[in-house]
Amino acid sequence: MEFTALFLAAVVVMLAAWRGSRQLALGLFALVIAASLATYLHHATDTLKLSF
Amino acid sequence: MTRSVAITLNALGLYAISLVLAAAFAAQLLLHELPCPLCLLQRIQFALLAIGPIMNVRWGPRASHYALSLFAAAAGFAFSTRQVLLHILPGDPGYGTALLGYHYYTLALIGFALSIVLIGAMLLFDRQFEPEAAPKFDAPDLFATCAVWLVIALTALNVVSTLLECGFGACADNPVVYELLRRW
Repeated sequence: MEFTALFLAAVVVMLAAWRGSRQLALGLFALVIAASLATYLHHATDTLKLSF
Repeated sequence: MTRSVAITLNALGLYAISLVLAAAFAAQLLLHELPCPLCLLQRIQFALLAIGPIMNVRWGPRASHYALSLFAAAAGFAFSTRQVLLHILPGDPGYGTALLGYHYYTLALIGFALSIVLIGAMLLFDRQFEPEAAPKFDAPDLFATCAVWLVIALTALNVVSTLLECGFGACADNPVVYELLRRW
């Protein structure tokens, strides 16, 4: 679900960049990139299922 | 490099990003391979890579717009490097089909690295940032407008595709079916 939300957020930033104000697009971009980094770090700390 | 040449090159960049997103879709639909969570995260970074060129087309070239694309490319580079490292051990078959001898995440890593180099090259040309003698608003031409709407449409299609794949819960680590189409 978080990936669907991130794609949707990317579409919103693109529309803001194309039709909205510049400041709004810059702010939204910062939020989305922070959210995608947080999603990555959340998954990167998952326990790897390894067996030796 | 003049302002109009820079805008045309940014529009070409948008077509290149659209090509990457379309190729990922084609592989997903033709080879019936669903993207993993890390693969989706890399696709999102390719979509975010388009924000800088869209703003350059809309507002004119600015260093801050190129910076946005650099942030997205750096994040995508880190994510694809992680996936390459996950499959680097000898004997590991990798995730998904290899295209031209490389798995998608390796191609993504090359793509993000290339983006960083190209953005750096674009930043070398100062004339594009100079204010025009007679400032006027030029509406983006059809070539650039089509590029913008194409990349927005492909990203919107990814919203639908990811919703079908993951449903309303967490995405599977190794997805093999579309969660929302499971009942059909």
